[in-house]
Amino acid sequence: MSGGPAVRVSIESSCEKQVQEVALDGTETYVPPLSMSQNLAKLAQRIDFSQGSDSEEDGAEGEPRDREWGKQEPEEEEGTLKFQPSLWPWDSVRNNLRSALTEMCVLHDVLSVVKEKKYMALDPVSQDPTAGKTPQVFQLISKKKSLATAAQLLLKGAEKLSKSVAENQENRRQRDFNSELLRLRSQWKLRKVGDKILGDLSYRSAGSLFPHHGTFEVIKNTDIDLDKKIPEDYCPLDVQIPSDLEGSAYIKVSIQKQAPDIGDLGTVNLFRRQPKTKAGTQPWHVKLEAAQNVLLCKEIFAQLSREAVQIKSQIPHIVVKNQIISQPFPGLQLSISLCHSTGEKKNHRASPEKPKPDDHLYVLEHNLHQMMREFHKQQLSSVVMPHPASAPFGHKRLRLAGPLAYDKAEISNLQQNEGLLEKIIKQAKHIFLRSRTARTIDSLASRIEDPQIQAHWSNINDVYESSVKVLITSQGYEQICNSCQNIKNGLQFTNSEVYKHKNT
Amino acid sequence: MEAPPVTVMPVTGGTINMMEYLLQGSVLDQALESLLHRLRGLCDNMEPETFTDHELVYLLKGQQGNPFILRARRSLSHPTAPWHLRYLGQPEVGDKSRHALVRNCVDVAASHSLPEFLNEMGFRMDHEFVANGHVFRKGAMKVVVTKLSRILVPGNTENTERLSLSYLVELSVLAPAGQDTVSEDMRSFAEQLKPLVHLEKIDPSKQRH
Repeated sequence: MSGGPAVRVSIESSCEKQVQEVALDGTETYVPPLSMSQNLAKLAQRIDFSQGSDSEEDGAEGEPRDREWGKQEPEEEEGTLKFQPSLWPWDSVRNNLRSALTEMCVLHDVLSVVKEKKYMALDPVSQDPTAGKTPQVFQLISKKKSLATAAQLLLKGAEKLSKSVAENQENRRQRDFNSELLRLRSQWKLRKVGDKILGDLSYRSAGSLFPHHGTFEVIKNTDIDLDKKIPEDYCPLDVQIPSDLEGSAYIKVSIQKQAPDIGDLGTVNLFRRQPKTKAGTQPWHVKLEAAQNVLLCKEIFAQLSREAVQIKSQIPHIVVKNQIISQPFPGLQLSISLCHSTGEKKNHRASPEKPKPDDHLYVLEHNLHQMMREFHKQQLSSVVMPHPASAPFGHKRLRLAGPLAYDKAEISNLQQNEGLLEKIIKQAKHIFLRSRTARTIDSLASRIEDPQIQAHWSNINDVYESSVKVLITSQGYEQICNSCQNIKNGLQFTNSEVYKHKNT
Repeated sequence: MEAPPVTVMPVTGGTINMMEYLLQGSVLDQALESLLHRLRGLCDNMEPETFTDHELVYLLKGQQGNPFILRARRSLSHPTAPWHLRYLGQPEVGDKSRHALVRNCVDVAASHSLPEFLNEMGFRMDHEFVANGHVFRKGAMKVVVTKLSRILVPGNTENTERLSLSYLVELSVLAPAGQDTVSEDMRSFAEQLKPLVHLEKIDPSKQRH
């Protein structure tokens, strides 16, 4: 056509989706395309199970078998299937599977009947005798080959096993970092912060209120030379403890008779105890335990010195550097000191004034540790947990003080009013009194010959009370007249009860 | 024996001016076991404590807009324990960088005649609920995992209906005013619970609709 403007012809593909219906206002509703499962069902329906990979014979065989063994139901369903092909897409699949199941059941039944050998027996099919025996040499060679293959397989397996066992041994000997870390984690609290592994060796989770952080760091020990032989005590893991907890410490408690000399104060720094290391413990365990012990000793000493300063008593306690001195009785001096040695200084060996090693009262040191741990446990007791849950923490009985209108005396009864220092002074007093009583009785017994004096000390004692039974008898007249006294060593005085027995 | 000192000045500080530092979060019921396990490991080593409490919220409507709210709470598992009366002030609008919600808090233990007393004073009960769950502590920090239930018949604490399929987790510390290191400790503790539960400060005034 000439003259006219060029006509633009646009081509667009026809709508791929089928139109299901057209509404009154012109909108077309399309048939929604098949979803994946529907598509799969459609494809599955097209599978013909009876057509195997072999040939049509199987297919032909399959059909009479179907008709023979199939039940009425699937036949009916197949019939209905011809009329309504879209009844259910998985139907043919279901049918095929069911026929397969039927055949398997039949096979199973036949085999079980044959096994009994009563109703059915299997006979071998007679072979063609013209097949001929294979030559013996051929049999030998074939057997040899098959045995060789089997042997090869077994050898390969054995080699793999032995290699893995050797590797295990090597690993165990090397004690790699991760297994060591696992062992550390089973005994100490660890957490990961960034790329560092930190741990907590303080008693805070056990109820302590000491403000020391107690954090240690776990580092990999990489200064090992792989060429040289690995030393016996090599450990791939090392711990770095805070610098003020290095070394080891203990609390020295001693009672001396002499009056305190001002110049001597604060000079107790002797350290004579070496901690025994058990064979087989890791070096990091020893280090961490020592650091934890140092921390506990510091806490005990801090608590004692705080009480020594705050509590008013008739004879004031003296706190100098690392020593607390108090006077339980006039002329008697109790000294509690924190001996912390970092383990590097060796110049104490030559000190002339070495105190007697029996000076240190192990019992009191043990009691101090025990009392501190009891204090920790009290902090954690469930008596502190609030019921109702929104109430603040605090002792359960103290919370009743408001509603029940306790007065000051009752409240002070509830609160613990005896500190660590007072308790330890009482115990020291008791120890001194007990030893003095024993000495007095013994000296009397040795001096006085006419009535015999025997003293039996009870083994079961309290920290504040001991009991002794004193028997006073006359020689030859034990049956007739003896008197026995029970002396209980209280804190400040001695009680005695006298029983007189008379045998008529 | 000296006479105890008598003070004529009003008592300030101490337990009167305590602030509550609070972080809240929630977990679904399915995640409760793992959260309890985690808390058991992180917190102080005590026997796990469960609680069942009944809380009543009392309002005093004055002439001004905002009513005065008091919370009275009693323990159903420990019937002899005293009631706990609590006043919570408005959250402090300090610097935004503070990690926890800070509000003034007054806690008082009361006897069992508390509801009648409050009624006589003019308070009216607004709503009540039952809370049960677990309580943990770490030093001064308290972690409470609560399941809240609505009371269907007023006064009957047996007949309750769960409000949601989740547990409310609260981390709180009671401390005197002005200690900001507390919120730092709370934040680092909340970090350790991070993938299980996200504890953050939720302003209660922003919750009203």
